[in-house]
Amino acid sequence: MRVKRDITRFAVLLAGLALFVAGLTPILRAALAAESGPSVTLKTEGAQPREVEDATEKAIVRDYSASWKAIANGLGNNDLNALDAGLVGFARDRFADAIADQKKTGVKIRYTDKGHQVEAVFYSPDGSSMQLRDTAKLTREVLDGEKVVSRDEITAHYIAIMAVTEDRWKLRSIQEVPNF
Amino acid sequence: MRRLFWVISALAACFFAADVARAAELQAPQSAVAGNAASIATSGSGDATMYLIGPGGAAKRTVKLGQALELKAEELRAAGRYTVLLSTGEKADFFVAPAKPKQIAFLARPSRVPVAKPGVITGVAFVFDDFKNLVLEAVPVKFDLSVQGTNASETVGSKLGIAWTKMNSASKEGAAQFVASAGDVKVNRVVQQTAGEPCNLHMKIVPANAGEKDTHGIVVETDPIRDCSGNAVPDGTIVTFSLVDAKGRTTVDSRIKKGVARANLPASPGGMVSVAAGVVSGNELHVGGGQ
Repeated sequence: MRVKRDITRFAVLLAGLALFVAGLTPILRAALAAESGPSVTLKTEGAQPREVEDATEKAIVRDYSASWKAIANGLGNNDLNALDAGLVGFARDRFADAIADQKKTGVKIRYTDKGHQVEAVFYSPDGSSMQLRDTAKLTREVLDGEKVVSRDEITAHYIAIMAVTEDRWKLRSIQEVPNF
Repeated sequence: MRRLFWVISALAACFFAADVARAAELQAPQSAVAGNAASIATSGSGDATMYLIGPGGAAKRTVKLGQALELKAEELRAAGRYTVLLSTGEKADFFVAPAKPKQIAFLARPSRVPVAKPGVITGVAFVFDDFKNLVLEAVPVKFDLSVQGTNASETVGSKLGIAWTKMNSASKEGAAQFVASAGDVKVNRVVQQTAGEPCNLHMKIVPANAGEKDTHGIVVETDPIRDCSGNAVPDGTIVTFSLVDAKGRTTVDSRIKKGVARANLPASPGGMVSVAAGVVSGNELHVGGGQ
Protein backbone atom coordinates (compact mmCIF):
# COMPACT_ATOMS: atom_id res chain seq x y z
CA MET A 1 0.00 0.00 0.00
CA ARG A 2 2.79 2.36 0.99
CA VAL A 3 4.85 1.41 -2.06
CA LYS A 4 1.87 2.20 -4.28
CA ARG A 5 1.50 5.61 -2.63
CA ASP A 6 5.19 6.34 -3.11
CA ILE A 7 4.98 5.43 -6.78
CA THR A 8 1.98 7.70 -7.23
CA ARG A 9 3.75 10.52 -5.43
CA PHE A 10 6.84 10.01 -7.59
CA ALA A 11 4.74 9.96 -10.77
CA VAL A 12 3.01 13.20 -9.81
CA LEU A 13 6.38 14.79 -9.00
CA LEU A 14 7.80 13.64 -12.32
CA ALA A 15 4.79 14.96 -14.23
CA GLY A 16 5.10 18.30 -12.44
CA LEU A 17 8.79 18.48 -13.26
CA ALA A 18 8.10 17.66 -16.92
CA LEU A 19 5.47 20.40 -17.07
CA PHE A 20 7.87 22.87 -15.47
CA VAL A 21 10.65 22.04 -17.94
CA ALA A 22 8.24 22.16 -20.88
CA GLY A 23 7.02 25.56 -19.78
CA LEU A 24 10.50 26.91 -19.11
CA THR A 25 12.12 25.80 -22.38
CA PRO A 26 10.41 28.28 -24.74
CA ILE A 27 10.90 31.09 -22.22
CA LEU A 28 14.61 30.28 -21.94
CA ARG A 29 14.92 29.95 -25.71
CA ALA A 30 13.21 33.29 -26.27
CA ALA A 31 15.37 34.92 -23.61
CA LEU A 32 18.54 33.53 -25.18
CA ALA A 33 17.41 34.54 -28.65
CA ALA A 34 16.66 38.06 -27.45
CA GLU A 35 20.10 38.19 -25.88
CA SER A 36 22.02 36.86 -28.84
CA GLY A 37 19.91 38.12 -31.74
CA PRO A 38 17.70 36.23 -34.16
CA SER A 39 18.81 33.05 -35.90
CA VAL A 40 20.49 33.55 -39.26
CA THR A 41 21.48 30.85 -41.74
CA LEU A 42 23.75 31.98 -44.54
CA LYS A 43 24.54 30.48 -47.94
CA THR A 44 27.59 31.90 -49.65
CA GLU A 45 28.04 29.61 -52.66
CA GLY A 46 26.46 32.08 -55.06
CA ALA A 47 28.46 35.13 -53.99
CA GLN A 48 30.21 36.97 -56.82
CA PRO A 49 32.82 38.10 -57.78
CA ARG A 50 34.79 37.11 -54.69
CA GLU A 51 34.54 33.93 -52.70
CA VAL A 52 33.45 34.45 -49.11
CA GLU A 53 36.10 33.42 -46.59
CA ASP A 54 35.08 31.17 -43.68
CA ALA A 55 35.86 33.84 -41.11
CA THR A 56 33.82 36.41 -43.06
CA GLU A 57 30.89 33.99 -43.29
CA LYS A 58 30.85 33.60 -39.52
CA ALA A 59 31.20 37.35 -39.03
CA ILE A 60 28.28 38.07 -41.37
CA VAL A 61 26.02 35.59 -39.58
CA ARG A 62 26.89 37.14 -36.23
CA ASP A 63 26.68 40.76 -37.39
CA TYR A 64 23.55 40.46 -39.55
CA SER A 65 21.80 38.97 -36.54
CA ALA A 66 23.12 41.85 -34.43
CA SER A 67 21.76 44.31 -37.00
CA TRP A 68 18.25 42.87 -36.70
CA LYS A 69 18.52 42.90 -32.95
CA ALA A 70 19.47 46.57 -33.17
CA ILE A 71 16.43 47.24 -35.40
CA ALA A 72 14.08 45.43 -33.02
CA ASN A 73 15.54 47.23 -29.99
CA GLY A 74 15.51 50.60 -31.71
CA LEU A 75 11.93 50.39 -32.96
CA GLY A 76 10.59 48.51 -29.93
CA ASN A 77 12.02 50.98 -27.40
CA ASN A 78 12.11 54.14 -29.55
CA ASP A 79 15.83 54.09 -28.87
CA LEU A 80 17.92 55.85 -31.49
CA ASN A 81 21.22 54.83 -29.88
CA ALA A 82 20.32 51.15 -30.09
CA LEU A 83 20.61 51.41 -33.87
CA ASP A 84 24.34 52.11 -33.66
CA ALA A 85 25.02 48.56 -32.55
CA GLY A 86 24.25 47.22 -36.00
CA LEU A 87 23.38 49.93 -38.51
CA VAL A 88 25.30 52.53 -40.43
CA GLY A 89 24.69 54.98 -43.29
CA PHE A 90 21.38 54.90 -45.13
CA ALA A 91 19.98 52.03 -43.06
CA ARG A 92 20.61 53.92 -39.85
CA ASP A 93 19.08 57.09 -41.33
CA ARG A 94 15.99 55.16 -42.40
CA PHE A 95 15.31 53.60 -39.02
CA ALA A 96 16.20 56.82 -37.21
CA ASP A 97 13.46 58.51 -39.29
CA ALA A 98 11.08 55.69 -38.37
CA ILE A 99 11.82 56.14 -34.66
CA ALA A 100 11.34 59.91 -34.95
CA ASP A 101 7.94 59.24 -36.58
CA GLN A 102 7.03 56.76 -33.86
CA LYS A 103 7.82 59.31 -31.18
CA LYS A 104 5.73 61.92 -33.00
CA THR A 105 2.67 59.77 -33.71
CA GLY A 106 2.73 57.40 -30.76
CA VAL A 107 2.40 54.52 -33.20
CA LYS A 108 5.05 51.88 -32.71
CA ILE A 109 6.19 48.79 -34.62
CA ARG A 110 7.29 45.75 -32.66
CA TYR A 111 9.04 42.89 -34.41
CA THR A 112 9.35 39.39 -33.03
CA ASP A 113 11.98 37.80 -35.15
CA LYS A 114 11.63 34.15 -36.11
CA GLY A 115 14.75 33.78 -38.19
CA HIS A 116 16.41 34.66 -41.48
CA GLN A 117 17.38 32.51 -44.46
CA VAL A 118 20.13 34.56 -46.04
CA GLU A 119 22.02 34.19 -49.28
CA ALA A 120 25.12 36.21 -50.21
CA VAL A 121 24.84 37.39 -53.83
CA PHE A 122 27.62 39.96 -54.08
CA TYR A 123 30.92 40.23 -52.26
CA SER A 124 32.98 43.18 -53.42
CA PRO A 125 36.46 42.53 -54.87
CA ASP A 126 38.11 44.45 -52.02
CA GLY A 127 36.08 42.55 -49.41
CA SER A 128 34.49 45.64 -47.90
CA SER A 129 30.83 45.12 -48.75
CA MET A 130 28.40 42.28 -49.25
CA GLN A 131 24.88 42.12 -50.65
CA LEU A 132 22.44 39.67 -49.11
CA ARG A 133 19.03 38.31 -50.01
CA ASP A 134 17.10 37.57 -46.87
CA THR A 135 13.86 35.69 -46.42
CA ALA A 136 12.72 36.57 -42.93
CA LYS A 137 9.88 35.28 -40.82
CA LEU A 138 8.60 37.96 -38.51
CA THR A 139 5.71 38.79 -36.30
CA ARG A 140 4.93 42.44 -36.77
CA GLU A 141 2.77 44.25 -34.29
CA VAL A 142 1.53 47.78 -34.69
CA LEU A 143 0.87 49.50 -31.39
CA ASP A 144 -0.98 52.75 -30.85
CA GLY A 145 0.28 53.69 -27.43
CA GLU A 146 0.09 50.38 -25.61
CA LYS A 147 -2.83 49.06 -27.66
CA VAL A 148 -2.03 46.48 -30.33
CA VAL A 149 -3.95 47.55 -33.44
CA SER A 150 -2.53 44.94 -35.77
CA ARG A 151 -0.58 41.72 -35.51
CA ASP A 152 0.72 39.92 -38.59
CA GLU A 153 2.85 36.90 -39.25
CA ILE A 154 4.83 37.91 -42.31
CA THR A 155 7.38 36.35 -44.60
CA ALA A 156 9.42 39.24 -45.89
CA HIS A 157 12.06 39.40 -48.60
CA TYR A 158 14.88 41.87 -48.08
CA ILE A 159 17.79 43.08 -50.15
CA ALA A 160 20.47 44.11 -47.69
CA ILE A 161 23.97 45.53 -47.96
CA MET A 162 26.47 44.94 -45.21
CA ALA A 163 29.61 47.05 -44.99
CA VAL A 164 32.80 46.70 -43.02
CA THR A 165 33.09 49.32 -40.32
CA GLU A 166 35.84 49.91 -37.81
CA ASP A 167 35.40 46.64 -35.92
CA ARG A 168 32.55 44.69 -37.47
CA TRP A 169 30.08 44.42 -40.33
CA LYS A 170 27.06 46.68 -40.14
CA LEU A 171 23.87 46.96 -42.13
CA ARG A 172 24.26 49.83 -44.59
CA SER A 173 21.07 49.48 -46.62
CA ILE A 174 17.98 47.32 -46.37
CA GLN A 175 14.92 47.25 -48.54
CA GLU A 176 11.93 44.94 -48.58
CA VAL A 177 10.86 43.65 -51.99
CA PRO A 178 7.74 41.68 -52.99
CA ASN A 179 9.86 38.69 -54.08
CA PHE A 180 13.29 37.76 -55.44
CA MET B 1 -47.79 37.60 -46.52
CA ARG B 2 -45.40 35.87 -44.16
CA ARG B 3 -43.46 34.47 -47.11
CA LEU B 4 -43.16 37.96 -48.61
CA PHE B 5 -41.82 39.25 -45.30
CA TRP B 6 -39.12 36.56 -45.25
CA VAL B 7 -38.12 37.27 -48.85
CA ILE B 8 -37.78 41.00 -48.16
CA SER B 9 -35.83 40.28 -44.97
CA ALA B 10 -33.46 37.96 -46.84
CA LEU B 11 -32.91 40.57 -49.56
CA ALA B 12 -32.21 43.25 -46.97
CA ALA B 13 -29.72 40.94 -45.25
CA CYS B 14 -27.99 40.31 -48.59
CA PHE B 15 -27.74 44.03 -49.33
CA PHE B 16 -26.37 44.67 -45.85
CA ALA B 17 -23.80 41.88 -46.21
CA ALA B 18 -22.74 43.21 -49.61
CA ASP B 19 -22.41 46.70 -48.17
CA VAL B 20 -20.28 45.43 -45.30
CA ALA B 21 -18.14 43.47 -47.74
CA ARG B 22 -17.67 46.61 -49.87
CA ALA B 23 -16.68 48.58 -46.79
CA ALA B 24 -13.95 46.02 -46.17
CA GLU B 25 -12.33 46.82 -49.48
CA LEU B 26 -9.26 49.03 -49.65
CA GLN B 27 -7.89 49.35 -53.13
CA ALA B 28 -4.13 49.67 -52.69
CA PRO B 29 -2.07 51.28 -55.48
CA GLN B 30 -0.63 48.80 -57.93
CA SER B 31 2.51 50.67 -58.90
CA ALA B 32 3.55 53.24 -56.33
CA VAL B 33 6.93 54.93 -56.75
CA ALA B 34 9.03 56.44 -53.97
CA GLY B 35 8.52 60.16 -53.52
CA ASN B 36 5.23 60.22 -55.42
CA ALA B 37 1.82 60.72 -53.89
CA ALA B 38 -0.70 57.90 -54.12
CA SER B 39 -4.31 57.38 -53.24
CA ILE B 40 -6.31 54.47 -51.94
CA ALA B 41 -9.99 54.14 -52.65
CA THR B 42 -12.27 53.37 -49.73
CA SER B 43 -15.92 52.63 -49.38
CA GLY B 44 -18.34 53.01 -46.54
CA SER B 45 -19.15 56.15 -44.64
CA GLY B 46 -18.19 58.01 -41.51
CA ASP B 47 -14.82 58.68 -39.98
CA ALA B 48 -12.04 56.23 -39.20
CA THR B 49 -8.49 56.38 -37.96
CA MET B 50 -5.95 55.46 -40.60
CA TYR B 51 -2.51 54.08 -39.80
CA LEU B 52 0.09 54.08 -42.55
CA ILE B 53 2.99 51.81 -41.65
CA GLY B 54 6.02 51.92 -43.90
CA PRO B 55 9.74 51.25 -43.80
CA GLY B 56 10.46 54.90 -43.08
CA GLY B 57 7.93 55.48 -40.33
CA ALA B 58 4.33 55.46 -39.27
CA ALA B 59 1.57 58.01 -39.83
CA LYS B 60 -1.82 58.26 -38.16
CA ARG B 61 -4.75 60.45 -39.04
CA THR B 62 -8.51 60.62 -39.22
CA VAL B 63 -9.99 59.92 -42.65
CA LYS B 64 -13.43 59.95 -44.18
CA LEU B 65 -14.58 56.60 -45.48
CA GLY B 66 -15.99 56.64 -48.96
CA GLN B 67 -13.34 59.13 -50.05
CA ALA B 68 -9.93 58.30 -51.40
CA LEU B 69 -7.11 58.19 -48.84
CA GLU B 70 -4.49 60.60 -50.08
CA LEU B 71 -0.97 59.48 -49.21
CA LYS B 72 1.48 62.34 -49.46
CA ALA B 73 4.71 62.11 -51.44
CA GLU B 74 6.78 62.61 -48.29
CA GLU B 75 5.00 59.69 -46.63
CA LEU B 76 6.12 57.36 -49.42
CA ARG B 77 9.81 58.19 -49.68
CA ALA B 78 11.12 54.83 -48.56
CA ALA B 79 10.82 51.88 -50.93
CA GLY B 80 9.36 48.69 -49.54
CA ARG B 81 6.19 47.36 -47.98
CA TYR B 82 3.47 49.70 -46.72
CA THR B 83 0.44 48.71 -44.74
CA VAL B 84 -2.69 50.80 -44.47
CA LEU B 85 -4.85 50.00 -41.47
CA LEU B 86 -8.23 51.45 -40.68
CA SER B 87 -9.70 51.49 -37.20
CA THR B 88 -12.71 49.76 -38.75
CA GLY B 89 -10.49 46.71 -39.28
CA GLU B 90 -9.70 46.99 -42.99
CA LYS B 91 -6.15 46.52 -44.06
CA ALA B 92 -4.18 46.64 -47.32
CA ASP B 93 -0.54 46.03 -48.15
CA PHE B 94 1.29 47.49 -51.12
CA PHE B 95 4.87 47.97 -52.25
CA VAL B 96 6.59 51.20 -53.20
CA ALA B 97 9.33 50.89 -55.81
CA PRO B 98 12.51 52.97 -55.84
CA ALA B 99 12.56 56.09 -58.03
CA LYS B 100 15.12 56.95 -60.74
CA PRO B 101 18.86 56.90 -59.96
CA LYS B 102 20.01 60.12 -58.31
CA GLN B 103 22.96 59.12 -56.16
CA ILE B 104 25.89 56.78 -56.52
CA ALA B 105 27.96 55.50 -53.64
CA PHE B 106 31.22 54.73 -55.38
CA LEU B 107 34.01 52.71 -53.81
CA ALA B 108 37.29 52.89 -55.73
CA ARG B 109 40.20 50.74 -54.55
CA PRO B 110 43.06 51.10 -54.01
CA SER B 111 43.78 54.80 -53.61
CA ARG B 112 47.38 54.36 -54.77
CA VAL B 113 48.52 51.89 -57.38
CA PRO B 114 51.58 51.22 -59.58
CA VAL B 115 51.27 51.95 -63.30
CA ALA B 116 50.68 49.32 -65.97
CA LYS B 117 49.29 46.58 -63.75
CA PRO B 118 46.41 44.50 -65.03
CA GLY B 119 43.16 44.37 -63.03
CA VAL B 120 44.46 46.22 -59.98
CA ILE B 121 41.83 48.95 -59.79
CA THR B 122 38.32 47.99 -58.71
CA GLY B 123 35.26 50.18 -58.66
CA VAL B 124 31.94 49.30 -57.05
CA ALA B 125 28.94 51.56 -57.62
CA PHE B 126 25.80 51.36 -55.48
CA VAL B 127 22.97 53.11 -57.27
CA PHE B 128 20.43 54.93 -55.11
CA ASP B 129 17.47 57.18 -55.84
CA ASP B 130 16.92 60.58 -54.27
CA PHE B 131 15.43 58.99 -51.16
CA LYS B 132 18.28 56.62 -50.27
CA ASN B 133 16.54 53.61 -51.83
CA LEU B 134 18.70 51.13 -53.72
CA VAL B 135 17.58 51.17 -57.37
CA LEU B 136 17.01 47.47 -58.02
CA GLU B 137 16.09 47.84 -61.67
CA ALA B 138 19.08 47.29 -63.99
CA VAL B 139 20.67 50.58 -65.09
CA PRO B 140 23.83 51.05 -67.17
CA VAL B 141 26.73 52.35 -65.10
CA LYS B 142 29.74 53.74 -66.95
CA PHE B 143 33.20 53.59 -65.41
CA ASP B 144 35.88 55.92 -66.83
CA LEU B 145 39.51 55.91 -65.79
CA SER B 146 41.67 58.67 -67.23
CA VAL B 147 45.11 60.02 -66.53
CA GLN B 148 47.33 62.31 -68.62
CA GLY B 149 45.48 61.77 -71.87
CA THR B 150 44.99 58.02 -71.52
CA ASN B 151 41.45 56.82 -71.03
CA ALA B 152 39.80 53.47 -70.32
CA SER B 153 36.06 53.04 -70.19
CA GLU B 154 33.58 50.28 -69.44
CA THR B 155 29.79 50.20 -69.16
CA VAL B 156 28.26 47.62 -66.84
CA GLY B 157 24.59 46.93 -66.14
CA SER B 158 23.77 47.12 -62.45
CA LYS B 159 22.33 44.06 -60.78
CA LEU B 160 20.14 44.59 -57.72
CA GLY B 161 21.54 48.10 -57.47
CA ILE B 162 25.22 47.25 -57.75
CA ALA B 163 27.64 47.54 -60.67
CA TRP B 164 31.33 46.80 -60.42
CA THR B 165 34.41 46.72 -62.58
CA LYS B 166 38.06 45.75 -62.50
CA MET B 167 40.42 47.88 -64.59
CA ASN B 168 44.09 48.03 -65.49
CA SER B 169 46.20 50.90 -64.27
CA ALA B 170 47.37 53.13 -67.10
CA SER B 171 50.99 53.34 -68.20
CA LYS B 172 51.23 57.03 -67.19
CA GLU B 173 51.74 58.09 -63.61
CA GLY B 174 49.62 60.79 -62.00
CA ALA B 175 46.27 61.34 -60.33
CA ALA B 176 43.87 59.20 -62.34
CA GLN B 177 40.26 60.37 -62.41
CA PHE B 178 37.99 57.38 -61.82
CA VAL B 179 34.40 58.30 -62.63
CA ALA B 180 31.23 56.25 -62.22
CA SER B 181 28.11 57.58 -63.92
CA ALA B 182 24.51 56.46 -64.25
CA GLY B 183 22.23 58.72 -66.27
CA ASP B 184 23.11 62.28 -65.30
CA VAL B 185 24.67 61.28 -61.97
CA LYS B 186 28.46 61.27 -61.82
CA VAL B 187 30.81 60.52 -58.98
CA ASN B 188 34.54 61.06 -59.16
CA ARG B 189 37.34 59.39 -57.22
CA VAL B 190 41.09 59.88 -57.55
CA VAL B 191 43.41 56.93 -57.83
CA GLN B 192 47.06 57.94 -57.57
CA GLN B 193 49.03 56.01 -60.13
CA THR B 194 52.69 55.83 -59.23
CA ALA B 195 55.72 54.73 -61.22
CA GLY B 196 56.40 51.03 -61.10
CA GLU B 197 59.64 49.21 -60.35
CA PRO B 198 62.80 50.81 -61.79
CA CYS B 199 63.75 49.57 -65.22
CA ASN B 200 67.27 49.46 -66.75
CA LEU B 201 68.93 50.60 -63.55
CA HIS B 202 72.38 51.92 -64.47
CA MET B 203 75.15 53.56 -62.41
CA LYS B 204 78.54 55.08 -63.11
CA ILE B 205 81.48 56.41 -61.14
CA VAL B 206 81.38 60.17 -61.02
CA PRO B 207 83.74 62.81 -59.69
CA ALA B 208 82.99 63.80 -56.13
CA ASN B 209 81.11 67.03 -55.60
CA ALA B 210 82.58 69.92 -53.69
CA GLY B 211 81.22 68.64 -50.40
CA GLU B 212 82.50 65.17 -51.05
CA LYS B 213 86.20 66.08 -51.72
CA ASP B 214 87.40 64.86 -48.36
CA THR B 215 86.29 61.30 -48.92
CA HIS B 216 88.94 58.77 -49.72
CA GLY B 217 86.56 56.60 -51.63
CA ILE B 218 84.64 56.64 -54.87
CA VAL B 219 81.32 58.23 -55.70
CA VAL B 220 78.77 56.25 -57.69
CA GLU B 221 75.59 57.71 -59.17
CA THR B 222 72.74 56.23 -61.13
CA ASP B 223 71.32 57.58 -64.33
CA PRO B 224 67.83 59.10 -63.89
CA ILE B 225 65.77 56.19 -62.57
CA ARG B 226 62.58 55.40 -64.49
CA ASP B 227 60.13 52.53 -64.65
CA CYS B 228 59.59 50.48 -67.79
CA SER B 229 56.92 52.96 -69.01
CA GLY B 230 59.31 55.89 -68.69
CA ASN B 231 57.82 57.36 -65.51
CA ALA B 232 60.30 58.79 -63.02
CA VAL B 233 60.55 56.63 -59.92
CA PRO B 234 59.60 58.88 -56.97
CA ASP B 235 62.23 60.61 -54.90
CA GLY B 236 62.77 58.89 -51.59
CA THR B 237 62.76 55.39 -53.07
CA ILE B 238 65.64 53.40 -51.59
CA VAL B 239 68.48 52.29 -53.90
CA THR B 240 71.11 49.95 -52.49
CA PHE B 241 74.77 50.11 -53.56
CA SER B 242 77.03 47.20 -52.56
CA LEU B 243 80.81 46.89 -52.75
CA VAL B 244 82.36 43.43 -52.52
CA ASP B 245 86.15 43.27 -52.13
CA ALA B 246 88.77 41.23 -50.31
CA LYS B 247 87.68 42.74 -46.96
CA GLY B 248 84.06 41.69 -47.40
CA ARG B 249 80.85 43.50 -48.33
CA THR B 250 80.00 47.16 -47.79
CA THR B 251 76.37 48.24 -48.34
CA VAL B 252 75.01 51.77 -48.62
CA ASP B 253 71.27 52.52 -48.83
CA SER B 254 70.59 55.77 -50.61
CA ARG B 255 67.34 57.56 -51.40
CA ILE B 256 66.55 58.83 -54.87
CA LYS B 257 66.94 62.59 -54.91
CA LYS B 258 66.02 64.66 -57.96
CA GLY B 259 65.61 61.45 -59.93
CA VAL B 260 69.02 59.90 -59.21
CA ALA B 261 70.63 57.97 -56.35
CA ARG B 262 74.19 58.57 -55.27
CA ALA B 263 76.57 57.00 -52.72
CA ASN B 264 80.13 57.21 -51.40
CA LEU B 265 81.93 53.88 -51.22
CA PRO B 266 85.44 53.05 -49.95
CA ALA B 267 88.11 53.00 -52.67
CA SER B 268 88.99 49.37 -53.06
CA PRO B 269 90.97 48.40 -56.13
CA GLY B 270 89.69 45.12 -57.49
CA GLY B 271 86.36 45.44 -55.73
CA MET B 272 83.00 45.09 -57.46
CA VAL B 273 80.14 47.56 -57.01
CA SER B 274 76.56 46.56 -57.71
CA VAL B 275 73.28 48.48 -57.52
CA ALA B 276 69.72 47.36 -56.83
CA ALA B 277 66.32 48.88 -56.10
CA GLY B 278 63.69 46.58 -54.66
CA VAL B 279 63.86 43.36 -56.65
CA VAL B 280 65.51 45.02 -59.63
CA SER B 281 69.28 44.74 -60.09
CA GLY B 282 71.36 47.12 -62.17
CA ASN B 283 74.81 46.97 -63.70
CA GLU B 284 78.08 46.13 -61.92
CA LEU B 285 81.36 48.10 -61.89
CA HIS B 286 84.89 46.82 -61.22
CA VAL B 287 86.71 49.46 -59.20
CA GLY B 288 90.04 50.35 -60.72
CA GLY B 289 89.48 48.02 -63.62
CA GLY B 290 86.83 49.80 -65.62
CA GLN B 291 83.34 48.36 -66.13
